[in-house]
Amino acid sequence: MQRRDVLKASGLAAAGSLAGCNGLFETQSLRTVPLVEDRPDAVYVPSHVEGMEMIGMGTKGRRAVGLMYSYPHRFWTVTGTRTEKVSLREEDSVHLMATVWDVETKTVLPVDAGVTVDVRRDGESVAKRSPWPMLSQNMGFHFGDNFALDGDGTYSVVVDVGATSLARRGSFAGEFADPLSVEIPFEYEQATRDEITFEKLPDRKGSRDALSPMQMDMVPLSTAPSAGDLDAMTTATTESGDATFLVAVVEDDDGPYLAVSPRTPYNRYVMPLMSLSATLTRDGETVFDDALPAAIGPSLDYHYGTTIPSYEGGEELTITVDAPPQVSRHEGYETAFLDVPAATVTL
Amino acid sequence: MSQRRRGISRRSFVKSAVAIGGASAFAACTNREQVDVPQGTDDLSTLPQRQHAWNDALDRDDHGNVVAPRHRVVLLLDYVGEGTPSDDEREQVEHALGSLERAYARGNDGLLVTVSYSPRYFSRYDASPAGVELPEPEALAPFEDPDLDRPDAVVHLASDYGQVVLGAEQALRGEHESLNGVEMAASFDGVFEVAARRTGFVGRGLPAENQDVEGLPDGDAVDEDAPLYMGFKSGFEKAQASEDAVTIDAGPFAGGTTQHLSRIRLHLEQWYEQDSRYQRVAKMFCPAHADDGRVEGVGDNLGSDSGMDECPVPHDSARSKGMVGHSQKSAEARRDGSPRIIRRDFDSTDGGEAGLHFLSIQRSIADFAETRTAMNGTDVSDGSAVGTRTNNGILQYMTVERRGNYLLPPRAHRSLPRPDPAA
Repeated sequence: MQRRDVLKASGLAAAGSLAGCNGLFETQSLRTVPLVEDRPDAVYVPSHVEGMEMIGMGTKGRRAVGLMYSYPHRFWTVTGTRTEKVSLREEDSVHLMATVWDVETKTVLPVDAGVTVDVRRDGESVAKRSPWPMLSQNMGFHFGDNFALDGDGTYSVVVDVGATSLARRGSFAGEFADPLSVEIPFEYEQATRDEITFEKLPDRKGSRDALSPMQMDMVPLSTAPSAGDLDAMTTATTESGDATFLVAVVEDDDGPYLAVSPRTPYNRYVMPLMSLSATLTRDGETVFDDALPAAIGPSLDYHYGTTIPSYEGGEELTITVDAPPQVSRHEGYETAFLDVPAATVTL
Repeated sequence: MSQRRRGISRRSFVKSAVAIGGASAFAACTNREQVDVPQGTDDLSTLPQRQHAWNDALDRDDHGNVVAPRHRVVLLLDYVGEGTPSDDEREQVEHALGSLERAYARGNDGLLVTVSYSPRYFSRYDASPAGVELPEPEALAPFEDPDLDRPDAVVHLASDYGQVVLGAEQALRGEHESLNGVEMAASFDGVFEVAARRTGFVGRGLPAENQDVEGLPDGDAVDEDAPLYMGFKSGFEKAQASEDAVTIDAGPFAGGTTQHLSRIRLHLEQWYEQDSRYQRVAKMFCPAHADDGRVEGVGDNLGSDSGMDECPVPHDSARSKGMVGHSQKSAEARRDGSPRIIRRDFDSTDGGEAGLHFLSIQRSIADFAETRTAMNGTDVSDGSAVGTRTNNGILQYMTVERRGNYLLPPRAHRSLPRPDPAA
């Protein structure tokens, strides 16, 4: 029997066992919601919005891992400035999403080492892979991919989180340096999955706006700080490629620290995995000209920064995006933040 | 209620005879292959002093690349006795190995065999091998957590014919009185016992034939021409060290080399179902190869050189392209322009999982560790858009599950060597 036939047969069996079969047909239809036509090269409202359900979480030390799921859906991987659309497979059951955060400050940790997810059942691995670092409009930064399960039943999902080698500031110094592993039970039932909200957006789709962030009680979102949240010597803002860049100079023990915090418009999510460099000039003289490595801290969150020789005020900063964020994109982000010209701002 | 089962039990997994092993597999192979395997020499003194001197005995392809033997069995062996081996045992092991050499000629159509020894073996003498740094295995990346292999010895059997590696294995286990018409003067029975058995294959067609395993998509993702699961050639002549370069050049073990053996689990569903050809070429070789369309099919058109001179340094690709290629990073480990290891790796279906037994030889284990450090690309990912694994070569698609380090002595000392055979 071909896989397609098997799916069809089990689908029919499931339909027969339900009082109504809305869920089933909703599931069928979502797979064919067409992409928005004439997508802008910017953040836009996607064709539909899906809810998500919490599966569970695990905590080790300062770090928590949350695991969520939704319908399987298309997304785009990014290499360089190219996007590659990942389409659904017939066998995909869910889109699994993992997020890691610091429990003390509720800061999402877009750890550079990533995570590995092993979906197990009866002691056997059903699917194991390293989900993509991703950005979605309702969830912000997370690790996600579509997974094919064995059908309804009890699973155990092992999430391995790598050690971070990111520069860590403030109370994050020395933290998150070890890998950790959590195991989260997952009772999966297709009928329950099909109760997750799914709403087409015929009136809003394609407009230059974004879906609202999810409200989840237990899981923080990767929201970047606003200028007012920072205790900074100065802040300034500029825009490029539909991304917003908040620049801050903060006082550090070893001198002024230049932080560049790119974030999405509307929802203010952090943008990991960029190659950024900065040129700082004062009265036409170059004071600093180098790459800005990624760093994370409790107040600046995920950003790109380094200590600079001096700051007097009035300097001109040029931010060059050598490579745009290599995070995979959910619908509505896949055309934005790819062509990001250099931007200049006065500090 | 019928449910599709994923996982091993779902697969209608047909193991190859070599993967199964044993007497019936040997019989099945012998029946199917229908070849006369050439017998080896009677005069063992004519054989190379280096156990690892395989290249002169192996075929070359049209581009001058060494053609790797297609079937492999690796046996991890524990010494049965207490303490240190006796001279009788040493002689028994030597007779067994000599019998294999008499039974099968060296070459693709015959047999190539090496025996190597672990740090644990030498610790029986409370010593390290003279003149050789042989560290215990360890994790070689911040994101890996391998189990560490500590058998006493490792035998590597290689041939284009399944019946040859199986026959040699059975003979070493003491299950053949004679092999290919030649009497087995001895076996390993009573000296070594098999702690683990690893099997596999490399070469055009074999990965495609063996793709119904966990870690690969259903169907026929792997190219019929691919010599390895990831779909590209490897072992380009110019990407391999020379046998001279990996040979220990001084001390009592001069003429030997070191061997590293890891077991790597492959997760290639994303590779084949989500990555594009462009991305696969960029991540395997370098982004410039992908931009310029330099790789056709499985990479035969590259000839004997993966073309790393035409790739920018990894840091530049990482900064400006947001990704870096596997070969591009590995080339950074070259010394004076030459690679430092010889890959003799092969794919595997052991455990019903797509795997890679990465067996390499190099003058020192440090040469391997430094090559692996280059492949980790940690210096590349720091301060660029490249993640620890994301867009960082092929790291996203593999998990290193086991590692082991070995001394592969020269032929004269291949049988249960003392730490200082010259003493």
